Amino acid sequence: MTKHQLPEVLAPAGSLDKLKIAVLYGANAVYVGGQKFGLRTAADNFTLDELREGMNFAHERGTQVYVVLNSFLHDKDLEEVPEFVKFLEEIGTDAVIVSDLGVVKTVRAHSKIPVHISTQASTLNSESARIWKEAGATRIVLGREVSVKEAGKIKREVDIEIEMFIHGSMCMAYSGHCVISNFTQGRDSNRGGCAHSCRFEYSLEGLDTPEKKKAYFMSSKDLEGLRVLPAFIEEKIDSLKIEGRMKSHLYAGTMSKVYSEALKYYAEHGDFLSDDLINWEAELSKVSHRTYTEASLVEKAGADSIFNERENASDGEWQMVGSVIDANPKSGIVIEVRNAFNQGDELEIIPFKGPAIKVVANEIMDLAMKAVTRTRPTTLVRLPFVEGVSSMHLVRQRGKA
Amino acid sequence: MKLTSYGRSLHELNILKDQGFEEVILEPKSLSRFGKLSKDEFLALSMRAKELGLRVLLEWDILMTEDVFTAKLKEVNDYVAHADAVRVQDPGAFGWVVRNTDRPLQFIAENGNHNLPALEGWVDLAKGRLERLILSIELSKTAIEGYVQKLKVPCELLGMGRILLFYTPRPLLSALAPEKMTMNGEIAALGESEESPHKGFPIVENAHGTFMFHIKEFCLVDFAHELRQMGLGFFRIDQRWDNQLLAEISGLVKNFDATGFETFKEKYTQDLMRGFYLVNKTDVLFPKLKNSRLQKREGDYIGEVLEAEKGSHLAIMVKNPKGLKKTDLLKILHPKGEIFESKIYSLRNLSLEEVDSVAAGNLAIIQFIGGVWVKSQVFYQ
Repeated sequence: MTKHQLPEVLAPAGSLDKLKIAVLYGANAVYVGGQKFGLRTAADNFTLDELREGMNFAHERGTQVYVVLNSFLHDKDLEEVPEFVKFLEEIGTDAVIVSDLGVVKTVRAHSKIPVHISTQASTLNSESARIWKEAGATRIVLGREVSVKEAGKIKREVDIEIEMFIHGSMCMAYSGHCVISNFTQGRDSNRGGCAHSCRFEYSLEGLDTPEKKKAYFMSSKDLEGLRVLPAFIEEKIDSLKIEGRMKSHLYAGTMSKVYSEALKYYAEHGDFLSDDLINWEAELSKVSHRTYTEASLVEKAGADSIFNERENASDGEWQMVGSVIDANPKSGIVIEVRNAFNQGDELEIIPFKGPAIKVVANEIMDLAMKAVTRTRPTTLVRLPFVEGVSSMHLVRQRGKA
Repeated sequence: MKLTSYGRSLHELNILKDQGFEEVILEPKSLSRFGKLSKDEFLALSMRAKELGLRVLLEWDILMTEDVFTAKLKEVNDYVAHADAVRVQDPGAFGWVVRNTDRPLQFIAENGNHNLPALEGWVDLAKGRLERLILSIELSKTAIEGYVQKLKVPCELLGMGRILLFYTPRPLLSALAPEKMTMNGEIAALGESEESPHKGFPIVENAHGTFMFHIKEFCLVDFAHELRQMGLGFFRIDQRWDNQLLAEISGLVKNFDATGFETFKEKYTQDLMRGFYLVNKTDVLFPKLKNSRLQKREGDYIGEVLEAEKGSHLAIMVKNPKGLKKTDLLKILHPKGEIFESKIYSLRNLSLEEVDSVAAGNLAIIQFIGGVWVKSQVFYQ
């Protein structure tokens, strides 16, 4: 537990940049993946040099770093784990996240790094948590099917750290219990090759309709647990995890900021009874997401937790314009542009703390100081310097194509 | 190698007895994912199985959240008392059986557990109570052979039956057609995915959640002899959805004949597959999931090109703690694989001042190098 008996905010960091963003925007801990052994093969992931740099960056700011080793490894994969684990210990890794008993044993045989049991192991009850504790785990990342009340009971009965997901995409299946990709695509979903078959449309036959019924029946809405925060605190949950190592810089920053600010508010006031709650929810809605649900945090997720819509990656109300590369009175605000904006557009620059800084892009210049009327993605542009803006700040704009 | 299978009726118990089975798996509706038996039916079948000399295995294979687990504990002893061994999948049930009963335990290690230390770990955690490990069908025969030889407990493998692809506690079908729910609390459909050429995935929703199976069934009947020679303990035949050919399958496993197997396949309603039995290559596609040329390297990596303005400049975000010096020689890897080598003729900072070096974390502006694009990776030569 952190001070004030509040849970830590644990943010995803799919790359070194995202790690820095999550840390700067307030995450108490981040989780990252190396080039192997994780479940996000397609993510950038970290080189050894980046792991070392990320670890130093986070630790200098009081943030913990957990490294995922949560694939269901085969014997051949396991051979490479000891060397990696020794490296992780050497650079000061705060914990590894593991879902396979063989990996737990291997980590413990070659290091003293604390072991967290991944949600991939679908730990759902106190007896299960007890078994993993006996195997050497210090923390359990519970399955998303467990309610906060149940989690509190597990913690009390087993006396082990409990981590729960509070935000992000969800597997519809019990985590680790879906092998659709394995058998239909030849890609092991539990070794990082998930093809997201649950997000596609299925035609269903046999449901008493003359024609096949089409539905995205296996696609889950996204988890959002902001209003459940008091219950997490009451049940003394140790860590609140945000899903999404594959997601954007804007996502990593916004989630880290919103949840850490909400918890800080609670620490100061002892409640969430604030207009800020509306603002925090508004902030969460500004990031691309499926319809939100509290899933099973309070009551068992039912049929209303099915998303049943085709994905649309750019359906966020707001979109990320880019990130600030540098900001000083001499060279101005230098933005790495991800999505184009025009002269005269209203932008919001998100500081690490406090409300967004509104900027109208009346004067845009390229890197060579030539005036620009419309920016292009993958370019760098300058805006006049504004007090309060600094490097690594994220820039967003109300959504447009 | 012994045979094992499920029993849901007196008729099925008699078939198992006639085919020389020594045990039967009984599935209470309350504890088993696809169970059909009420408590009374379980007790009656258990009694009859014992009269027939069949060992009774209680299948308790649902996954359980804390509240569900607590509820199940109120009744599980009634079943355990009439079983010779208990089969579990939830590690919680595993732990509870070890700590609270005297029954031998069989652990369903079908999800993951694709390495020997994991399987040995479960043996150790059972403290001498584990009598069987049920292995994953994703294992290759090489892996199976190794495990069978090295593990201290016998292993079981699905030899014939449906392949479970997906298991959720959420009700997914009744939301679409609640009127289709049967008196038995089940609803079934066939699914066809837009992403896959496969059609007819069987989908079942019941009190424990929703399950989807592969369109083909798993079949190692033609490898039964090989598995027997490896030393596999138990070959499971799962015909719970259509048991018409249970006796014939059992006969083929015991005495395989190629012609008979061909005849069998012709009349079997489902297509068959052997999955990853010969080889599991489900990780070979991973390197293709991302552009290897965009992946960062250790050691000599400087950073990434963030802007390439033709005829003007390249902007490089310097990431190496050594920074970038004007005297450095560069090797630049284009996202498409082309390699460019160059000296630095002009090195400027963000204020466009000529400098001798740029530190890590800053933007370095150098001369434009023809052919280099954004996202190119920059290295020291």
